[in-house]
Amino acid sequence: MPETPEPLLETVDLAAGYNGVPAIRGLSMSVGPGEVVALLGPNGAGKTTSLLAMVGLVPLLGGEVRVLGAPLGRRRPHQVARSGVLLVPDDRGIFYGLTVREHLRLAARRADPERERQVLDRFPVLRNLDSRRAGLMSGGEQQMLAIAKALLAGPKVLIIDEMSLGLAPKIVQEMLPAIRDLAKEDGIGLVLVEQHIELALSIADRGVILNHGRVVLTGAAGDLLRDRHLVEAAYFGAEQFADTEGTLAG
Amino acid sequence: MGTFLQFVVLGLGLGSIYIGLGTGLLLVHRATGIINFAQGAMAMWGAYVFAQLRVDGTLVFPIGSIEFARRPPIEVAALIGILTAFVLGLVVHYLVFRPVRHAPVLAQVVVSVAVMITIQALVVLRFGPNNIDVASILPEGSISVLGTDLPTREIIMAAIMVVLAAAVWAYLRFTRAGVATRAASENERAAVLMGFSPDRLAAVAQVVAVVLGTISVMLGSSLTGLNPDNYTLLVVPALAVLLVARMESIAVVVVAALLLGAFQSVIGLLVTKSWWPVWAQSGLDQVIPFAVVMVILFVQGKRLPSRGSLQTIRLPDVSIPKLKPVPAVILLVLGVAALSFTQGTWRFGVTTSIIVMLLALSYVVLTGYLGQISLAQGAFAGAAGFALSKMTSAWGVPFPLSLILSALVATALGMLVALPAFRIRGAQLAIITIAAALAIERFVFNNYTLSPPEGNPIADATLFGLNLGVREGRDLARISFSVMVLVIAAILVWVFIRVASGDTGRTFLAVRANERAAASSGIDVRKTKLIGFAISAFIAGIAGCLIGFSRGQLSAESFTVFAGLQVLAVAYLGGITSVGGAIVAGVLGPLGIVYTLLRGVFDLGEYYALISGLGLIITAILNPVGIAGATREQVAWVRRRLSRSGPPPSTVPDAPAPKEPSRV
Amino acid sequence: MSDKGLHTKGLTVRYGGLVANDSVTIDVDPGTVVGLIGPNGAGKTTFVDAVTGFTASAGEILLDGTRIDALPPHERRTAGLSRTWQSGELFGNLSVAENLLVAARAGGWRTLVRDIFVPRRKVSDDVVSRALEVVGLADVADTLARDLTLGQQKLVGVARALAGGAEVLLLDEPAAGLDSMESRAFAARVRSIADSGPGILLIDHDMSLVLGVCDVVTVLEFGKQIFTGTPAEARTDPTVVAAYLGAPVEASHA
Repeated sequence: MPETPEPLLETVDLAAGYNGVPAIRGLSMSVGPGEVVALLGPNGAGKTTSLLAMVGLVPLLGGEVRVLGAPLGRRRPHQVARSGVLLVPDDRGIFYGLTVREHLRLAARRADPERERQVLDRFPVLRNLDSRRAGLMSGGEQQMLAIAKALLAGPKVLIIDEMSLGLAPKIVQEMLPAIRDLAKEDGIGLVLVEQHIELALSIADRGVILNHGRVVLTGAAGDLLRDRHLVEAAYFGAEQFADTEGTLAG
Repeated sequence: MGTFLQFVVLGLGLGSIYIGLGTGLLLVHRATGIINFAQGAMAMWGAYVFAQLRVDGTLVFPIGSIEFARRPPIEVAALIGILTAFVLGLVVHYLVFRPVRHAPVLAQVVVSVAVMITIQALVVLRFGPNNIDVASILPEGSISVLGTDLPTREIIMAAIMVVLAAAVWAYLRFTRAGVATRAASENERAAVLMGFSPDRLAAVAQVVAVVLGTISVMLGSSLTGLNPDNYTLLVVPALAVLLVARMESIAVVVVAALLLGAFQSVIGLLVTKSWWPVWAQSGLDQVIPFAVVMVILFVQGKRLPSRGSLQTIRLPDVSIPKLKPVPAVILLVLGVAALSFTQGTWRFGVTTSIIVMLLALSYVVLTGYLGQISLAQGAFAGAAGFALSKMTSAWGVPFPLSLILSALVATALGMLVALPAFRIRGAQLAIITIAAALAIERFVFNNYTLSPPEGNPIADATLFGLNLGVREGRDLARISFSVMVLVIAAILVWVFIRVASGDTGRTFLAVRANERAAASSGIDVRKTKLIGFAISAFIAGIAGCLIGFSRGQLSAESFTVFAGLQVLAVAYLGGITSVGGAIVAGVLGPLGIVYTLLRGVFDLGEYYALISGLGLIITAILNPVGIAGATREQVAWVRRRLSRSGPPPSTVPDAPAPKEPSRV
Repeated sequence: MSDKGLHTKGLTVRYGGLVANDSVTIDVDPGTVVGLIGPNGAGKTTFVDAVTGFTASAGEILLDGTRIDALPPHERRTAGLSRTWQSGELFGNLSVAENLLVAARAGGWRTLVRDIFVPRRKVSDDVVSRALEVVGLADVADTLARDLTLGQQKLVGVARALAGGAEVLLLDEPAAGLDSMESRAFAARVRSIADSGPGILLIDHDMSLVLGVCDVVTVLEFGKQIFTGTPAEARTDPTVVAAYLGAPVEASHA
């Protein structure tokens, strides 16, 4: 497994969950500058919990999260965000009552027209929607807004939870590479949770597969893509997979 | 026409206060999700400080005061008043509202009611219960429009408040913090993820709200003088304005506030006309806004927007009660003993405690079991009490029948108030019920055609020739009356336990836990609410009748909105989810055992309201299950300790396994 | 297709401009298990909400030949249409048995009078114990619902849906949170429930469960019904594979 020299975000033997019951255990992973890590796994595997724990929204029950080399400690979630770790949650984290302009305003602590131009170049659709309320935009536009506002905040680490949720595959296929390119250019560490394994691995450097709250497989994205059987077994559990194996092969 | 216009303009003074309170309410709700019933009381404190400085140069703090040799100039006094408001806003935010920001709505409503009670009690203690004059910051004068002299003070006042409200609007619209406040009110988690601290935004909102309200009260009270009751309760029409504005639009708050003020002023003019029906002279200014809000809620049909927050704490636990003969007999014996070994004021105190226990029980039914928040229980009790007066003294209805019929009057009223609960819940239901309570108080209890100012006599009860009256000669609390109260209370508690432990109680708990799931299990949620309100109002009605019997006559002061809130305070303090809690509440309740003790032994009767308010704040923050619940938990803990040698407790995990947020 | 069971015709749900269900037509005949699958956000739960009256919808909903689309949710339940919830939604302060009793015994004014004068005993209720046996949870009858694991809570939800007597059961992700062993046992239970009479609509992500237990499968994508047929047909239908499983790599292993 290729190890990046200076991880921007790192979890060490992380356990986290609600009401003292861990939903994830023993999660160790890291993301470095310009690196893209795909966090995969079936529904209920603990992907979202992992992401929330990384930004301090779910209490840690063991292990630690290190942000830019320093432990998360007792930092509050908004302080984590200010230190440059931005999570785009699965509800997209946008505000239906606010306009695009207002979102962009909120995102940047200091107005930075140059940065804003750069970001909007990636999502030119948003330019024409300046005074449109987010609630009136299409799902794809909302997702672009969610990511644009995260990028505008000047993230060091960008974490995106299920970007493809409710989006047509075509949009996802366009957006993911765009985000990856941006991350590479700006040296942003990118963590993606995706249900679309193929797409996620096709743009990621590494993949981490969770099941039942534990890491069951990690590897370079290329290796994982090549070695489907490992992914399949990790994903579905070998027994269940056996039931339908082959029948759906297309 | 000229007089009409004059009254409209005069009403702008009141309207200005509504702007101040309503805008503040909106801002705080946006920033915290809390509807602050104490907005009026909090705004009043700074105005009182200002007024007192101008009256005799004393700067009054909650504890202690500074006397200036000379009265400070009006500008300085006003500045000190505003500074006080600033500090009050910060203190209340960090000590009271911040700790309950993720608590259930019930706890939030109770906390804000507790702040309201506390500040009002503190005002009475520190500034006295009477109206005090307030110096006018604005010049007096009039301008002539179309041949009518219109007072300029009201016009300037309204202009100032409109400008300030516009400033708040601009804050929310154009500043980064303001936009973030709106954002957080829609999706708090997302705002946190963008690096905003909802806490800090909430503190700003709270301070701005209190300062705004204080300015409006400082200006407005120069017209009317300050009075602890009236200004505390001005929050009710302001809340109505907030509902009309759907808790969103400051522009609508401003317009509705001015319209309401002008309207109430014009009503004041109209009721003096000869053609106006005598029976409708009092309280219409409160009834009509209430009716308007009801109509708007029903016409809109949709739920009002509520703030999406990170609610984490569950409601206080409820368990299904069991009728245990031994404790029941012990309690009854204790009750009889307490009544037999006391006399005079002490026995009266014990008797009152039993009655207050019943009032608290009515909260246990409605709030503890059904999860509905009503601030109108005092009005239900009052309605029954007044009905009892009519039945016993005017119509001569005999005793047990008069009691039951009067309680049924309260029941009918309760079912009427239940109707809004079909559409709204939580804090919004609390608003509607307090508005209903105020309307009933002003329109019915204070209505001289229905309730003569010389009082409403209630004939003593007799049963089979037995005199159940409360007084005879110099005996202020006859034992036969007290025993009757105890017996009635015992019967009602017994009925309550049967209902709560039966099929009905189960449907109540189901509705409380989850209305959707209840409906999907075949429960008619509306009918269940109707039944809950009916039972609760019936119990409150019986309590109201007993209060009536114990006094011999009733006046509007017997059942004020405050008295009702006071009972909510002790009911929550005792524990709103159990009979045990109701009993504790009875002991703590107004004019009950603890009160008698405070007054008779420690000579601290005047601090009663303050102590109960503070006690409630602390309880709601630290211990939402109340005193009885906490005791129960401790008893259970001790039992577990003692029975360690026995079979181990169930190993089922304490909480449901976590899962990723579900989605369609 | 018979009159019996649940039938929707052109059921459509709109949220503002979004069409969450676009003219969905489904038949759940007595004794059959119909699977409703599709990617996250396809409108599966919306469909259950609409059928059970928790979301306004257009189109026809028939239960045993009678239109029920104008009825409030609790009346649809008493008419025999029963559902579970994705997140369990049990009454946490009540025991498991009491949760079921809520569904088995309606409240009302008459119940109130009876509670006061002639209270009924609450335990030893046949309906309750039978429903609990069906889901294999008889031993937790007296546990508080909130003390159960999520998997158990969902099974109690199924038992609660059965408890009042049901013509048609709508199960919204009942097996999420179960491990693969439990999931198989659950599949057997679903089958046996259906064999005892009621029709079942099953939403789940566990493909082996859905494809294994269902007689008919309907696939939603972006609110549109893109496929209805047997599990065997679904496995090989290219639109299903593309819609539900996305790209080829995923398709090959689900």
